[in-house]
Amino acid sequence: MGQLKLDKIQKFYGDFEVLKSIGLEVKNGEFVVFVGPSGCGKSTLLRMIAGLDSTSTGDILIDGVRVNDKPPVQRGIAMVFQSYALYPHMTVFENIAFPLRVERLPEETIREKVEAVAKILQLDKRLHQKPGMLSGGQRQRVAIGRAIVREPKIFLFDEPLSNLDAALRADMRIELSKLHQDLKATMIYVTHDQVEAMTMADRIVVLNAGEIAQVGAPLELYHKPQNLFVAGFIGNPKMNFMPVTCTATDEHGVTVSYAGQSVTLPVAARPDLVGQTLTLGIRPEHLSLGSGDLTVTVTPSVIERLGVNTVAYAALPSGENYCALLPGSAPVRVGAPMQTGIRATDCHLFDGKGQAFERRVDWQTLDRPAVTAA
Amino acid sequence: MREPAQLINRYRWYEIVGIYCGIAVFLTFVLAPFVEGFLVSLKPLSQLFSSPYRFIPENGSFEAYRTMWESVPGFARYIFNSFFISTIVTTVVLCMVVPAAYAFARFEFKGRGTLLAAFLAVNMFSGAVLLIPLFRLMRTLGVLNTYFAMIVPGVAFLIPSAIWLLRTYMMRIPRELDEAAYVDGASHFYTLRRVILPIAMPGITVVAITTFIGSYAQQFIFALTFNAKSEYMPLPVGLFAYFGRQEVVWNELMAASFVGIAPAMIVIFFLQRYLVSGLTAGAVKQ
Repeated sequence: MGQLKLDKIQKFYGDFEVLKSIGLEVKNGEFVVFVGPSGCGKSTLLRMIAGLDSTSTGDILIDGVRVNDKPPVQRGIAMVFQSYALYPHMTVFENIAFPLRVERLPEETIREKVEAVAKILQLDKRLHQKPGMLSGGQRQRVAIGRAIVREPKIFLFDEPLSNLDAALRADMRIELSKLHQDLKATMIYVTHDQVEAMTMADRIVVLNAGEIAQVGAPLELYHKPQNLFVAGFIGNPKMNFMPVTCTATDEHGVTVSYAGQSVTLPVAARPDLVGQTLTLGIRPEHLSLGSGDLTVTVTPSVIERLGVNTVAYAALPSGENYCALLPGSAPVRVGAPMQTGIRATDCHLFDGKGQAFERRVDWQTLDRPAVTAA
Repeated sequence: MREPAQLINRYRWYEIVGIYCGIAVFLTFVLAPFVEGFLVSLKPLSQLFSSPYRFIPENGSFEAYRTMWESVPGFARYIFNSFFISTIVTTVVLCMVVPAAYAFARFEFKGRGTLLAAFLAVNMFSGAVLLIPLFRLMRTLGVLNTYFAMIVPGVAFLIPSAIWLLRTYMMRIPRELDEAAYVDGASHFYTLRRVILPIAMPGITVVAITTFIGSYAQQFIFALTFNAKSEYMPLPVGLFAYFGRQEVVWNELMAASFVGIAPAMIVIFFLQRYLVSGLTAGAVKQ
């Protein structure tokens, strides 16, 4: 069992509040990713779960037991560090065996367990080498091996892939996902890389400035961000934001006007909106060339051609960045006006405080054909 | 084939000449006494005061290296004493300094900065200033004329600099290694023994060597004051035996000096094998 509950966790460094009343429940076997910009407190939160940092207030419960005052090993967690933290003077075998030697297990058992782990991680031929002779990916696997050999209830990963190059990172991502399926253990993973978060997580916890901005499945965050921060953070390139004015609300949604055009967005309306300035969000990949429910004409200043996609960067008259992700090699040129169309159903709408109006779409059906086909 | 030097290491010819000249000046000052001492040890005593003085000995021999044992029969004992005292001092210092340096490098505790500053301050007093108080202390405790009297002050005065030296080294060992061991259930002492000690070996070796040398050098003053028994005399005091009433047996004195340093040289030679750098390679990704 590896069930984790965070209850109103706070952390102060002096007067500075690093974490503001974090509450979260992680189910057994779940793969949860903490994601957020640098300094949002995600690593601090992980270190507190690990027992390396103390909480200022609040409780950490693992399988219903309060573990605030217990050392890491009694919490039943294992941690993989960003910098690997391998013992340079020990062989791979001894590195993986370290937690077992601490427990004083018999030599025979240690050998068995280490060899089993080495097999899973394809390190069997490296057992007698020292970390200095291994490549980055292999070192990372040794660090993971040291974590899994103890069979903990919860695995904690602190940006484990950020020191690897892009190709290796993609490989390790797949290996970690497989490992999660094989071990069926609870895993908590900290990263600033949203691709890692989107690809591996069962649930993503987006942290911003010490607070949970949103918790949800990857596609839920993508389709139904609850606020401007999550909308901007999830998705690459970033969501476009444009200022609009509300002109009417009814049971179909909110009608807004932008540059003389009017469009009704299918979102849950709230009273007293008419006349207010709202923010309309549209993802670059949902723009198309030509006209739509709302048509915006901009002049791209930079164009990136990736083969599979074309990314056009422009600016709106109001100064906001405006980016379009177009399929294939799209007929757009730097300096030439580009007409983009927006469908009302693809739009997100945020109020003056950055909170989203709930979209009248079921995100689980949005991707149903693609997800079930896979 | 020699590899061409990196750009940053390339010098013009006159720069190289300048560098070597500088080295030569200082090396002369350091090494000339040794050379002269060695040459003196080869000369018969009569030649030492010949005029004009000649540096290169005529019919030089190693005779003094034989006669020195006869003219001062206890000399082997003096060498042993020196070696013994220094070894004990070094062992005791290491046993205390390694955990202390680890604590100073890793733990936040009240008075840490004050203590470290105090260590530096203590180092500013040379042992000589404190000789009289120390002597009275030793007399009160009744430990004058024992090995103890030479070892304990030696340890006390060598610990501060050893802590500073080793603490700096240990601070360079990544903290993640401690945290990883802690997460895996290791106690502080287990971590120190299995993880920190092996990685800090080069630093510990440096501390061991400096402590050993320091102890060798400071014995003279402690032994002279706290010890009157000739069988406990260490080498530096033992060398006084060659200062006769009438004359100083210079050639034997020099020979004895060289023989006396030999054990220390051998120890240092062995210790320096552990001075391998790059031992932390692969520990963490920087």
